Amino acid sequence: MLLLQVIVGGLLLGAIYALFSSGLTLIWGMMNFINFAHGEFVMLGMYVSLLVVVWLGGGPAAFGFAAAFSLFVLGVFVYLSLIRYVLRGPMLSQILSTFGLALLLRYTAFWIFSANFVSLPQTSLSGTLNVGGVLMPVPQLVAGVIAILLTIGLHLMLTRTKVGSQLLAVSEDRGAAMLMGIRPDRMQALAWGLSAGAAGIAGALMAIAYPWSPSVGETFGLTAFVVVALGGFGSVPGALLAGLIIGLIQALSAFWFGPIYKDIIVYALFVALLWLRPQGLMGKA
Amino acid sequence: MKIPSISPTILLAAALLIYPLVFSGAFYLDIGVTFLLAAISASAWNIVGGYAGQVSVGHAMFFGLGAYAPLLCYTLFQWAPIAGIPFGIMFSIALAVLIGIPTFRLTGHYFSMATIAVAELIRIYFGTWDLVGAAIGLQGPATARGWWDLTFRSELPYYYIFLAVLAVLLYLTFLIERRRFGYYLRAIKAGERAARSLGVPVQQTKIKALVLSAVFTSLAGSLYSVKTGFIDPESGFGILVSVQMVIIAALGGAGKLYGPLVGALILIPLQTATNTWFGGGGTGLTFILYGGIIVLIARYEPGGLFELWERIAPRRWRHKNAS
Amino acid sequence: MSRFRLLKAAAAAATLIAFSAAVPVMAADVVKIGILWPLTGNAAAAGQASKAAAEVAVDIINNAHPDLGDLPLAKTAGLPNMGGAKLELVFVDHQGNPSLAQQLATRLITQDKVDVLMGAYQSSCSFTATAVAERYGIPFMVGESAALNITGRGFKWVFRGTPIASDYARTYMRFFGDMKKQSKKIDSIAIVNENTDYGTSVADAIVEEAKKANIPVAIRIPYSASSTDVSAQVLQLKERQPDVVIFISYTADSILYMKTMKNLDYAPPMVIGDDTGFSDPSFIPAVADVAQGVMNRSAWSIGKPGSTTYKINEMYKAKTGRDLDDTSARNMQSFFALADAINRAGSTDPEKIRDALTKTDLKPEQLMMGYEGVKFDNTGQNILAATYLIQLHDKKYELIWPDKAAEAKLQWPMAGWKK
Repeated sequence: MLLLQVIVGGLLLGAIYALFSSGLTLIWGMMNFINFAHGEFVMLGMYVSLLVVVWLGGGPAAFGFAAAFSLFVLGVFVYLSLIRYVLRGPMLSQILSTFGLALLLRYTAFWIFSANFVSLPQTSLSGTLNVGGVLMPVPQLVAGVIAILLTIGLHLMLTRTKVGSQLLAVSEDRGAAMLMGIRPDRMQALAWGLSAGAAGIAGALMAIAYPWSPSVGETFGLTAFVVVALGGFGSVPGALLAGLIIGLIQALSAFWFGPIYKDIIVYALFVALLWLRPQGLMGKA
Repeated sequence: MKIPSISPTILLAAALLIYPLVFSGAFYLDIGVTFLLAAISASAWNIVGGYAGQVSVGHAMFFGLGAYAPLLCYTLFQWAPIAGIPFGIMFSIALAVLIGIPTFRLTGHYFSMATIAVAELIRIYFGTWDLVGAAIGLQGPATARGWWDLTFRSELPYYYIFLAVLAVLLYLTFLIERRRFGYYLRAIKAGERAARSLGVPVQQTKIKALVLSAVFTSLAGSLYSVKTGFIDPESGFGILVSVQMVIIAALGGAGKLYGPLVGALILIPLQTATNTWFGGGGTGLTFILYGGIIVLIARYEPGGLFELWERIAPRRWRHKNAS
Repeated sequence: MSRFRLLKAAAAAATLIAFSAAVPVMAADVVKIGILWPLTGNAAAAGQASKAAAEVAVDIINNAHPDLGDLPLAKTAGLPNMGGAKLELVFVDHQGNPSLAQQLATRLITQDKVDVLMGAYQSSCSFTATAVAERYGIPFMVGESAALNITGRGFKWVFRGTPIASDYARTYMRFFGDMKKQSKKIDSIAIVNENTDYGTSVADAIVEEAKKANIPVAIRIPYSASSTDVSAQVLQLKERQPDVVIFISYTADSILYMKTMKNLDYAPPMVIGDDTGFSDPSFIPAVADVAQGVMNRSAWSIGKPGSTTYKINEMYKAKTGRDLDDTSARNMQSFFALADAINRAGSTDPEKIRDALTKTDLKPEQLMMGYEGVKFDNTGQNILAATYLIQLHDKKYELIWPDKAAEAKLQWPMAGWKK
């Protein structure tokens, strides 16, 4: 029974990992580019939520939307002002660009919000459901379910809508897409917006259930890399599956071996994956 | 009549040699020592990250091993810390080969991510391992038992020891630049597939570069822990240790001999200045500054300040030598 | 041409030397205290809180506060034995970086020419900064770092005013002994500690003392303080069913644990929080409804209105908007002990101050903390440091142990979220 509890907890958290990792994998698939500041986008989503609640008294819907929208704008801005220039440059500057961005965002957040951990004041989502002996705290449950729905939604958007197919076209073959009249630059900016927006909502969802501080971006970023590596670079369904798996592995490792080892196991898994199966479960090689 | 110009290298060497005699205060000396340490680490990173273009953001793994070894030997066996330095180097070489073989099959971003993950893994593990002091870390001898403990009251001896190490490293890098190994590195940086088709033994070269880089990074770590007398997982393996090496090299010019030195020359005094002026106020401005600088370099001048200088300087030289 | 460049460089260097050599002439009526704390980074909140506490202390000493009873140096303005000399604080931010702490300690001593040092919160930074002080022969007062051998290295110039990990561990064991005499069941305990030097030091000490007291440790769970989710840990506890769970945590994780325990319906007979997170001003408002009866330790108690401690708290609250927390209070107490020693030395000569420190003998009535006094042994550790145990009743902590100081009755088992 306790084991079932651990599993459910792990899956719910894993769903949120899946959501924010899907944005990262999208960028990778399109541009062969890793955003080292992705974790910071999640962190910013959390703070936007806080500001909406504290200044405007908004509820979950309000701050969820606010986080998604503001981070979308930020993502597009980052692409237009920085990323599209470094894409043409050497590897070092590509890596440095988002690394520097991560530092900038993280420490500006430290400066504005201080290092204190914060959490959202009690929202309408509170309490715990008891389903057959398994306790599911409502905030975590809601966050997890919405995360899965949004990830599936993203996948559907990519595969079923016109815009989605344009994005995928650029990612498959940039040259051919251009010949078809698709503007790669625009699509890439859009992809960055979606990626950041997804990270932002994921942040808002996490904010409902967990406390945070500016430093959480680092851990989330690394988690996202692992999920993306497992799921396969470029595959959103892969990210969903991998997110759930990683959440599960984390919870089980923490329960069986102790919380410190859960990180070691996850990173070791990551390195093993990169070595043995870089294309992950569902990605293109 | 042409006035004979003293080569910049000699000028640099002279400046570095007489610095402690001119700025003899203990605080300025410490800045100098910190600068040299940063220059050594960044120059070591430069071999594999700058010349070969393999951007490792986890070099702290070597730095940390080098930093722990001397203090571990002191704690366990009461040896003089410097006796532990060769062990640090040995472990780092082993790690470099172990890591190099699987990860060098990966390209670009994959490789960088792998290096971050490995460094983090080691950092977390050391935090749980009682033998190396777990989260509390290790200390060196509080007071010297003899000259070999290298616990000096003044930092002057450290300064010259570090300077010697930097000189050796830069000379080695200078030699590499001119020999075939250096050509291989540059070829790999320019394009691996092309290099391979030209007959460059890519995998071997990359590993050799990593090993060489690891040796000196490990040495830098050892020097750090001997001088500070303290090490813990965060100061040895923390991500900021890795990031600082990369920033310094990139700022000055990755892949250039004096790039890391120039980067350190600018960043270390800058860091000290922001700490002094803003530190007590508590705003963490230093890192915001770091982040901003890196973004600017990446966006506008990926070749670092050195490349910027090289673009501007030739014009001046041309004018001067024309008369 | 490069000869001119050399000349220019030399000229610049000469000017710089001139500047650095211009040491500000020290007025005879100022005593400089250099303080190294983390004012940015992860521990910034604690560093800033302690900074405010130090500033309040300086105000009390530098100005006359006759209403503060026997608190050393409160009645007079400035240091009476030095003609009313004022204290001046020089703060530096080591950002939690031990190498930076070393550099800053050097700067404080050689550039700012401070007379004494204080610091440094993180044990790693205390290790390196105190080593510098020892080398230069400048007294260093450690106000709060936990690691045992900060005072165990045979140093002459390092003093620590606060209790250390082993003191806390022994306190807990004595408490358990008392509880057992009252027929409370304590067959096993669990320790949940954050895994930096603070949590590890205290947890190690508790494990050792528990062994001596013959109390089995059912499970020890080190975890990372920045964990997002602690369900697995709580479930591990639920599996082992210890009688007491001791948490050694920072703020966010303490709150997270209390909430997660409620979510997962886990209510051990007693929870003891080792200060820090449990004493943070944001803890009670966040978890009062789910963590009734949770115990904590504190050597600081605000006390009744009109008492010296109450007045000090009011001064701190006026400055920061929050109540004084235990860690900052311990720093403040160490600060008073330091100032008292400087006053008794009657001079800024380091050797005289050091000597005065070794002869320190403050009585309980002169303290703001619940220690039994301030007296340093030959390793520099205050051997009369002590701590109370407090318990959350309603919306505040009340002193419940030791009996002779208790203000309220112990609630066992703890109510948690149940009415």
